[in-house]
Amino acid sequence: MARSIDDAVAALADRADATALAGGTWIMRAPIRREPPIRFCVGLTRIPELNAVDISASEIRIGACVTHARLVSALAGVRGCEGLVTAAGSAANPAVRQMATIGGNLCASAFPASDLAPSLLSLDAEVELSGPGGDERLPVGRFLERRGSLEPGILLTAVVIPRRALKSGHARLPLRKAGDYPVAIVSMTAELRGDGAVEDIRVTVGSVEASPRRWTQLEQALLGRRLDPNGAYDLAQAEAHIFTGRDGVDAPGWYRVQVLPALARRAAQAVLAGP
Amino acid sequence: MATNILINGEAHVSTREPMTPLLDVLREELFLTGAKSVCREGICGACIVHLDGQPVVSCLVPVGTLEGREVRTVESLAAEGEPSPLQQVMEEHDVVQCGMCFPGILMTLTSFFRERPDAGRDEVKAALVGNICRCTGYERIVDAAIALAKRS
Ligand SMILES: Cc1cc2nc3c(=O)[nH]c(=O)nc-3n(C[C@H](O)[C@H](O)[C@H](O)COP(=O)(O)OP(=O)(O)OC[C@H]3O[C@@H](n4cnc5c(N)ncnc54)[C@H](O)[C@@H]3O)c2cc1C
Ligand code: FES
Ligand code: FES
Repeated sequence: MARSIDDAVAALADRADATALAGGTWIMRAPIRREPPIRFCVGLTRIPELNAVDISASEIRIGACVTHARLVSALAGVRGCEGLVTAAGSAANPAVRQMATIGGNLCASAFPASDLAPSLLSLDAEVELSGPGGDERLPVGRFLERRGSLEPGILLTAVVIPRRALKSGHARLPLRKAGDYPVAIVSMTAELRGDGAVEDIRVTVGSVEASPRRWTQLEQALLGRRLDPNGAYDLAQAEAHIFTGRDGVDAPGWYRVQVLPALARRAAQAVLAGP
Repeated sequence: MATNILINGEAHVSTREPMTPLLDVLREELFLTGAKSVCREGICGACIVHLDGQPVVSCLVPVGTLEGREVRTVESLAAEGEPSPLQQVMEEHDVVQCGMCFPGILMTLTSFFRERPDAGRDEVKAALVGNICRCTGYERIVDAAIALAKRS
């Protein structure tokens, strides 16, 4: 168990077979995914900086080892974070949320069904990395593209969310009412003018394709109009064809795409329901 | 590598590989077989124990991360030989069928009621999404839990 970020970076650089360990809820299932079991890990959860949540007027900084359960309690009632709280509080189940961390969720490569990733993408979040070559800050979208090919020894240390006059919503569809991975996700973050018109908006889609991505066509269509859930449904219907759903045991690809307009409507409802 | 853990109030030193799941340490080293080894992937909740008071799936907790931490298992609920109020209400309502899911359900509800003693039906159901009962006795489990919440 490392005691500081420098300790952890050094320990990871020291051994080629070393893996970072946060909550363990992904790593411990390696045998079930038929991957070789991981033997040498550098534990991150006792590093104080990685467990901090700092909320200032301009940004929210979340340490990589903050768990889903902690995210819910620390961000409840923080304006703009409604969607992230829904994402963190409805992913997996209570006992897993107690251990699974935000950093582990973003770093688990080959994991398409993450709730936090599309939510953070819609919030325009950035991630901070530390490694033997120094520190780096980059948009979460760029990190998600790179995460499969990170050099060994690179740690995600924090997620930073800029604070603006935003409202956010997160709509997910699990097969049962709760407790399952989502088949598809629409996350929406919007800035609304006094008359309800959309000043700025980011819509992201998760779990449909291998990685979450922005739905820029729908964003363009929604921009400048009054945000209206049924209108969002119709516009989403017209733009859903750009996605190619992945086939999985839980749902075939076409189904994931088919449910997107309904999720866009729910995400818009959630945005409007916010304070 | 030795790991010092407090288990049900007693000091324990585990010498298993650090990546061994806590569940296996409990069952194989301490013969605390209340927590069940079923899915081993965090879905069913049969292996839930308390780690520093919070419910976790012990199948996914590497023992090497537990130095100095406190674990409580279902065996600790009736420590004095007297079933806890939750255990009593489950017995009164004759809820248990095969019992496989029960240690996990008791641990989930014990910590849940500590925070929400007068919870309603929907909250109890939401708390139990990570506890699968293969005998599907859900409604009776929730009925019994609600009866306890009403007493509080
Ligand atoms: C039953 C079950 C249901 C689930 N349902 C959902 C769901 O509905 N939605 C959802 O989003 N997720 C779900 N998950 C996935 C869960 O959220 C992830 O397993 C979890 O977030 C991973 O975090 P962790 O801290 O446990 O990571 P770990 O298992 O510790 O690590 C995961 C990976 O990230 C690397 N890593 C971890 N932290 C860092 C870091 N700081 N820097 C660099 N690398 C790092 C590790 O080396 C490893 O490769 C579910 C999991 C389970 C078990
Ligand atoms: S055995 Fe741990 S959750 Fe099923
Ligand atoms: S009583 Fe049999 S699994 Fe729940």
